[in-house]
Amino acid sequence: MDTSNPAVFVNGELIPNFIGKKVRAVVQVNRCDGGAATAKSTDDCQLTIKGLPQVPLMNYIEVIGIAESSNSIGAEVWTDFGNTFDTDSYNQLCQLANGEFKSLFL
Amino acid sequence: MFSSSQFDAAAAFSGGGFTSSQPSQLNDSSPAASKSRDSQGLVPVTVKQISEASQSGDEKSNFAINGVDLNNVTLVGMVYEKVERNTDVNFVLDDGTGRIKCRRWVNETFDTKEMEQVNDGMYVRVYGHLKSFQGVRQLVAFSVRQPVTNFDEIPFHFIDCIHSHLRSKVKVEGITSTNPSSVTSFNTPVKSEPNGSQAPSSNPGYAQYSVDGLKDCDKLVIDYLHQHSDMSDERGIHVNELSRELKLPMDKIMLSLKTLGDDGLVYSTIDDYHYKQA
Repeated sequence: MDTSNPAVFVNGELIPNFIGKKVRAVVQVNRCDGGAATAKSTDDCQLTIKGLPQVPLMNYIEVIGIAESSNSIGAEVWTDFGNTFDTDSYNQLCQLANGEFKSLFL
Repeated sequence: MFSSSQFDAAAAFSGGGFTSSQPSQLNDSSPAASKSRDSQGLVPVTVKQISEASQSGDEKSNFAINGVDLNNVTLVGMVYEKVERNTDVNFVLDDGTGRIKCRRWVNETFDTKEMEQVNDGMYVRVYGHLKSFQGVRQLVAFSVRQPVTNFDEIPFHFIDCIHSHLRSKVKVEGITSTNPSSVTSFNTPVKSEPNGSQAPSSNPGYAQYSVDGLKDCDKLVIDYLHQHSDMSDERGIHVNELSRELKLPMDKIMLSLKTLGDDGLVYSTIDDYHYKQA
């Protein structure tokens, strides 16, 4: 039972609050240039994801890793969520998990 | 195949509170359980919630959160460190809020087959029983399933945790803060797409609890109107004053007033901007 290293639910707006910490975000990959991929977060912010191998474009990927800056994440673990995903729900979950219900998550 | 597994699990697991609900509806047993929260039910939780749950008595090994007995739980997370043995499979479940050790006893071929499909790095949904062993909280899983079909299940699970947390908080504190309008708007789009088994899980609960009481915001408004009601002043209170004094945005105030008006607790006076308590 170990809650010492939680991954915070973030969208583009919340990343700046957790720079240097482990975060998780669902993004839609637009472009893949070698090591860095350009992706769109659930609140339509452009993010750079480093460390992603070739992923199917326009799919939703969940990325868990360290937030390196206010618009980039260094991916450690990624999961393909397919090409249908409810970004609105995820976006509002990010807001709730970091706001009113932070105690349930962090 | 899936429904038969639930039958086995329910039959094998007698103390879980499933005996009353139909075995083929393990997924749907959450609405049955959530309707009657006094009896043991299946609660969606995060690992963080488990770590904070209070324990009542070492012998009974009963956990509780917000006054709700927390024995049977469901979690969604990633599998790590899967170790397969002859009689059981151990793994660690990481749901982003923490990690918890899980153990799945393997008695029949179905159990083995189910666990064979689960590998490290995979997202799964686990139904299980909380146990404390040598001071360490663990989960005895009786069903491990992959949410491959629709990954919307992952945010849905966390929203479900928030929802049941709010509902049990309501019961404990006596005031109502279910906020059905905002939470429903999350759940409806999610439930429209994925497997139908997820759909019924929270809806009946809403109908029950939203009738019972007022939202936080409504309560603030009605309290303010009550405190400042002056029988001689027929005009009532202006909504700007409500917004200013309660420090709430105007649209929330108007929404609360509409709800309260529908319930017959307030009424508008000289125009749509003045309200009085009924």
